[in-house]
Amino acid sequence: MILHIAFYFAVLSLVSVGGIPSVMPEMQRLVVDVEGWMSAAEYTQLFAIGQAAPGPNVLVTALIGWKVAGIAGGLVALGAFCGPAAALAYTIGGYWDRMRDAPWRKDIQRALVPITVGFIVSGGYVLATPQGPIWQSAVIAGTSAATLYATKLNPLWILAAGGVLGYFLF
Amino acid sequence: MEYNPPKSLLELYLGFLSIGARSFGGVLPWAHRTMVEERRWIAPGDFAEVLALCQFLPGPNVGNVSVVLGRRWFGPVGSVVAFAGLMALPLVWVFGLALLYADFATHPAVRAVVTGVGVAGGGLFIGTALKLAKPLVQKPWALALAVSCFGVIAIGRMSLFAVLPVAALLGWLGARRGLI
Repeated sequence: MILHIAFYFAVLSLVSVGGIPSVMPEMQRLVVDVEGWMSAAEYTQLFAIGQAAPGPNVLVTALIGWKVAGIAGGLVALGAFCGPAAALAYTIGGYWDRMRDAPWRKDIQRALVPITVGFIVSGGYVLATPQGPIWQSAVIAGTSAATLYATKLNPLWILAAGGVLGYFLF
Repeated sequence: MEYNPPKSLLELYLGFLSIGARSFGGVLPWAHRTMVEERRWIAPGDFAEVLALCQFLPGPNVGNVSVVLGRRWFGPVGSVVAFAGLMALPLVWVFGLALLYADFATHPAVRAVVTGVGVAGGGLFIGTALKLAKPLVQKPWALALAVSCFGVIAIGRMSLFAVLPVAALLGWLGARRGLI
């Protein structure tokens, strides 16, 4: 199982345009739908724990690995997801000055915006509907999305409010 | 205003350690504050350039920033040290929380609160995407592409690996024709 996760996350690493939010649906599809390693609810709860800790949101990959194969699984999953992308960043880092103003790079960047938007909304949707599209989830996720969009409130308060609403609604 | 890179690997490690330790609710603001404002390792414009590269590339943005800057200052060892510093404390935190949660996960109230936090976190993604989507409002092609991606991934439950090549091709053609 560890090897399976390592391989899958490593490949996913290279297509994670827009970072972790974009690949949340695919990871959930793998561990919940395809492999049955956890339920959709457990997946959302692991994500919540990742959000409640400091550090990059990529840590959720460590939690998924941990749930499936213990602490070692967590470290392997994190390394597998970060490694290939880091190797790419390491290599490209030296050429960036030449690439930066190339017209093809600007085309790619523009092309990626709508795709990233679609993927990130999908990530949000998948995480917010662990029990299917029920009104309770819609209220919590809708409030949180609107608050982030319209105010400058620290996201931690929004997450805390989600916890309080969760206590009463779920 | 003088900006000087870290002088030793230890300084590099401690800098990234403090970014990781304090970054509740998002790493990026803390990365900027630590490296640009407090330790003055890198000028703001330079930081923005590195960040643009790391947002363009796949992978975790700030994780990539640590790799790129670590390399610039100390070579391969620097990349490893910076990345390890960034992840060390958050990893301990997150595993600690997960173990704690595992003990209480059967408690319905605890589960409800944690699920609420996760659902709200999903909402944060949606809010972030809405901000990113603002410039797309006058570009029907781009909006259609974003909505289609959502439809096939979130509702259709198709694999990212099947969707991305097609979406990338459509996006590329659209961008070349000035539609996106």
